[in-house]
Amino acid sequence: MEAYLLNLFILISIYSILGVTLNFIMGYAGIYSLAHAVFFGVGAYAGSFMAMHFNASIFVTLPVAMVAGGLLSLILALPALRVRGEYFVAASLGLQVLAVTIFSEWKGVTGGIGGLIGIPPLDIAGFEIFKPSQFIFVTVAALVIILFIVNRLVHSSFGRSLRAIRDSESAAAAFGKNVPLIKTISVVISSALTAVAGVLYASYLSFINVESFMLDTSVLIMAMVIIGGTGTQAGPIVGAALLLILPSLISYLDFLPQTEIGSIQQIIYGLGMALLMIYRPGGIVGRKKHSETGKE
Amino acid sequence: MLALQLTITGLQTGALYALTAVGFSLIFGSTRIFHFAHGATFIIAAYLFYYMNVSGYGLIAGIAAATAGAIAFGLLLNRFVYVPIQRDEGSFFTVFVASFGIGIVVQNVVGMIFGRGYVTVSTPLSFSVEIMDGLYVAPIAWISMLCAAVFFGILWCFLKYSQMGKALRALADNPELVRVFGLNPRFIAASAFTIGSILVVPAAIISGATSGLNPAMGHHVMLISLAATIVGGIGSVPGTLLAGLALGLAESLALLYVDSQWTEAVTFAILFLFIIIRPSGLLGRSAAH
Repeated sequence: MEAYLLNLFILISIYSILGVTLNFIMGYAGIYSLAHAVFFGVGAYAGSFMAMHFNASIFVTLPVAMVAGGLLSLILALPALRVRGEYFVAASLGLQVLAVTIFSEWKGVTGGIGGLIGIPPLDIAGFEIFKPSQFIFVTVAALVIILFIVNRLVHSSFGRSLRAIRDSESAAAAFGKNVPLIKTISVVISSALTAVAGVLYASYLSFINVESFMLDTSVLIMAMVIIGGTGTQAGPIVGAALLLILPSLISYLDFLPQTEIGSIQQIIYGLGMALLMIYRPGGIVGRKKHSETGKE
Repeated sequence: MLALQLTITGLQTGALYALTAVGFSLIFGSTRIFHFAHGATFIIAAYLFYYMNVSGYGLIAGIAAATAGAIAFGLLLNRFVYVPIQRDEGSFFTVFVASFGIGIVVQNVVGMIFGRGYVTVSTPLSFSVEIMDGLYVAPIAWISMLCAAVFFGILWCFLKYSQMGKALRALADNPELVRVFGLNPRFIAASAFTIGSILVVPAAIISGATSGLNPAMGHHVMLISLAATIVGGIGSVPGTLLAGLALGLAESLALLYVDSQWTEAVTFAILFLFIIIRPSGLLGRSAAH
């Protein structure tokens, strides 16, 4: 039971990082990306590659993964500068589908569909972290640091520029804001921080394959942010905890047929998304009235 | 000969893509509702036909059930999900998330009833016949192309000449003006959902006989429809039709150069390039902003 809870909390903190980083571009810059799992994957694969072939120290794996995620995110920034709204959603979907194909075909780095096995545990200055009871401190620390970074950014002048762009791009440009640059930087920061979650995830499980980085994951992260509350500080974490705890609670209800548990979880999650959008589009933490963040 | 074979297969796939995509494009173009559950409409129609077929009700009853199911789903979704959200001035993204959620629900409910594996509607029409030396075509390929041609002919006449068709195009142009003119935009939107959902039915039925059905395929159908709508140009029915055909062809002809696992990537690479280079699409009118 204790091991089970530890595992759940570690996953919640990793998914919270994903939620917080997605919320940074979605809630504050109005960039609705359905390709967030791509950068989660890039971080995981880049980190594992370094750990397996060169050095497992986090002072090697983390920077490499962050740089890889940040650089590749320029591909996502490209459409973000050109188009908004539904066009950008479609572009990010396209990127997500492309990335899944590459993840499952580039066998030299990603191990193909079978994935990578035997990824070394995290190495922090010589200490190898492989016990979940130690690992939880690492993930929570990472979450706190990332929350702090995002919080500082959001409350700086950079954050105010982001919100200005979200609410009206032309008005922000008229005020002399360099809109393309600000948007690009926000995407790069978000993706680099997302890659951190990828490194933690890979070294925690010591096994990854493409299944963890598909469109479903992107949608799950998006649902966490939206259900929790887009553009709020606590929203993504509440959403991540809720969406990961609910399924485990449902599997305790023994009157449900065991083979259909997965489907029932999915149905509840789908219905939850639809009902929430009808009655409370601002999310659980968000304001009750129609949220300011939902606008294009 | 391989190229010719792939062209015919591509046209068959493309015709089905075009039918579903035009349904989405019509709804999206006139109402601006990001109807992601369009793939779910496809699943519902396809499985209803499959069910009627397996239970031995015959072709006509199957088509009727599939059509009724598709229309009912489209209208109910519009009435109970999209209208309430739009009343609150919901953004496209709010609608998208709700629609996505409904898509997940439908996929899993269908999976619980019919199982998650592949099922096929068996018919002698899907057996390939050698029509030329080394060229195999199943009769159903001609049926799909014919079906697409007939449906597009009717749709074109409808949009061009009927009162409702004109109203639909007007709604796409300027919803405010439609209201001022005294037409009821909600009624026109309901018609868009009806027509858009009907357009899915032939593709859903034929897919059941050719590629087989799977509750998870709604996703793929939807992604293709979205890609064709954007590549063709949002709001342009002929553009979507062309793009649907082109995407089907590209997916098939890509096999000449790459392995089959890359075909989906080809479609989305085309989509991605279009959005970056020409967001207004093939025949779109205004740029995307």
